[in-house]
Amino acid sequence: MLEVKHVSKEFKTVKALNDINFTVKNGQILGLIGQNGAGKSTTFHSILDFLQYDGEITWENEPITNNVFDQIGYLPEERSLMPKLTVEQQIVYLARLKNRPAKEIRPKIDEWLKKFAVKGSKKDKIKSLSKGNQQKVQLICTMIHDPKLIILDEPFSGLDPVNADLLKQAIFEAKKKGAAIIFSSHDMENVEELCDKLVMLKNGEIVLDGTVSDVRNSFGKTHLFVTTDWTKEQLEQLPQVSSVVVRDPNKYLLELADEKAGNEIFEKLTDGKYIEEFSQQPPSLNEIFRMKAGVINE
Amino acid sequence: MNKLWIVTFETFLRQIKSWSFVALILGPFIIFGISMGAGYVSYNGAESGSDIAVISKETAMREQFIKANKDDVNQKITTVSAAKKAVNKNKLAGYLVLKTNKNQATATYHGTSSIDSSLKTKVLTFTSQIQQQLNYAKAGMTLEQVQQLQQQPAFKEKISKKTGTAKTAKLISFWVTVIMVYTILVTYTGITAQEIASEKGTKIMEIIFSSTTASKYFIGKILGVLLVILTQILIYLIGGWGGYLIAQKASMTKDIMEQYHTLINSVLHNLLSVNLVFLLLGVVIYTILAAFSGALVTKAEDASKAAQPVTMLSMLAFFVTFPFQNNLDAVAVKILSYVPFFSSYFMPMRVINSEAGPVEISISLLILVLSIVLLTFYISKIYQGLMLQTDDSSFWKRFKRGLSYNK
Repeated sequence: MLEVKHVSKEFKTVKALNDINFTVKNGQILGLIGQNGAGKSTTFHSILDFLQYDGEITWENEPITNNVFDQIGYLPEERSLMPKLTVEQQIVYLARLKNRPAKEIRPKIDEWLKKFAVKGSKKDKIKSLSKGNQQKVQLICTMIHDPKLIILDEPFSGLDPVNADLLKQAIFEAKKKGAAIIFSSHDMENVEELCDKLVMLKNGEIVLDGTVSDVRNSFGKTHLFVTTDWTKEQLEQLPQVSSVVVRDPNKYLLELADEKAGNEIFEKLTDGKYIEEFSQQPPSLNEIFRMKAGVINE
Repeated sequence: MNKLWIVTFETFLRQIKSWSFVALILGPFIIFGISMGAGYVSYNGAESGSDIAVISKETAMREQFIKANKDDVNQKITTVSAAKKAVNKNKLAGYLVLKTNKNQATATYHGTSSIDSSLKTKVLTFTSQIQQQLNYAKAGMTLEQVQQLQQQPAFKEKISKKTGTAKTAKLISFWVTVIMVYTILVTYTGITAQEIASEKGTKIMEIIFSSTTASKYFIGKILGVLLVILTQILIYLIGGWGGYLIAQKASMTKDIMEQYHTLINSVLHNLLSVNLVFLLLGVVIYTILAAFSGALVTKAEDASKAAQPVTMLSMLAFFVTFPFQNNLDAVAVKILSYVPFFSSYFMPMRVINSEAGPVEISISLLILVLSIVLLTFYISKIYQGLMLQTDDSSFWKRFKRGLSYNK
């Protein structure tokens, strides 16, 4: 289990992290979200012992030092490989730095290249691969040594939906094997789909923390998805409706000031008749993110 | 395998497999080969095309000329017709007909171009001697009178061969040492700074530092480069030794090698001594500094700029030796022979000229080794911070932020 306890970090006068606390259990995925500069990378750098910080970070109750490095797989935000090496040389070199012998890694390479649908051979030079394929090779380098703690900084950026699915599959497989996974992303759909837990940072502080459903429900079921022949103007006249968004002809999203108004609105819209769609839900993670980010900007 | 050695061998293998390393190694051998080849061709060419034949009915006179000038004469040709044929085929530069007629010695040169000036002098000297002998005979002088007339003024030049050779050997050793130190330093500071800066440029360092400590990685890199340098020196030593053996036996160089045997041995003795240790340690300390410089840039293409301060320092140390090569008693020389970055030039200079004793050499070496250890320790401490700073802010900002990453 990864435990981050009361971690703070200051760069001169800037407080990059302020009393950060969270845990990621084995077999659990945590999504770390926040605007650019919120402190996500600083959190990762602290976990990886790149920085001196106040507080305590442990992996399986041990401080993270050189002894633990071999159990970690890390994908940094900026994609980076050694362009002059071949795919095989690159993967083997980085795996050897994780104390995995070359003879253990080499036989796995083809399988992993296939898993990530990398176009090219293991004998190709890294520089000859496309950007997307280089990114996939880097993901392989992060995961091929079966790390117990996987840290992925913006792993989906630059991946098309097909390749994003391949990555999700690999992340789920690692989760099944019992790895603790922490990743940052700006794509809330991925976070919602993958994460057991999420932590949102703003200005180096945690503003949201919990399971995805808990976080969403904490904002109340203020969203009504309806399909009706009422007009937008008519819907705006309903009680506690603060805004109406037209999704499609006859399909609307009503935002409620008070979730309790849902029953009354349902009565009025149905009025004893069949209604094709009436769904009261909490705001999406994307909206919550925007909401929270908006608070930051105020 | 220890991660330090993984980094060391990876760095070493990557460097020695590169074309630039192969070119670096082969360059001097290719240049040596080309100059030897050119020398051989001109040596053989000279042997065939620039000789002359000497034709004379007076066998004694012909033999006397050949004895005095055997390097310039093709002795096989004895007749005018054979000589003419050889000239037409460009196998001879010309032929010389020697004869005496009515107490006058004459020499007639036949060729396609003017006789070589030095050969002309030799011919004139020879014919003068013959003419003198004829004149003495005609004058009916006694042997005593002839000897008196041949009396020459005396000019003496006394050179102590041993001292002269030793002085030349010292001078050659000095130049070979400083040029060798300078060349290797400039080459490897550039390579190291480039290697570090290009790695930093690829932003792979975060992955590396999530696998091993920065100090292990830094020391591994330095050891890797050091292995490359040792490989180069070893190849040069073997190649140089081979060249030395060949030169001792090759007909073209055999005479020169015999003539300068003492000088060459003295130079080799000066080079293959403690000076080699100074050279190696000098390269190490400059390499560490170059690695530090490489870590300060953000893009691989700035690597050459990063190596500049180190190259400048090396150049400074190199040029500062010049005014002191004949003034080794100067206080500055003594001080600089203990100062790291300078001692690799100055102490060998003193050693070559027997100006430094074992104690002084040991102290200088100790200071150099201690400086290397301290510098490695300090840089490996801040290395992680420096390597993780990849923003485009100013040099000092990056440097300061790098230090703030210091753990």
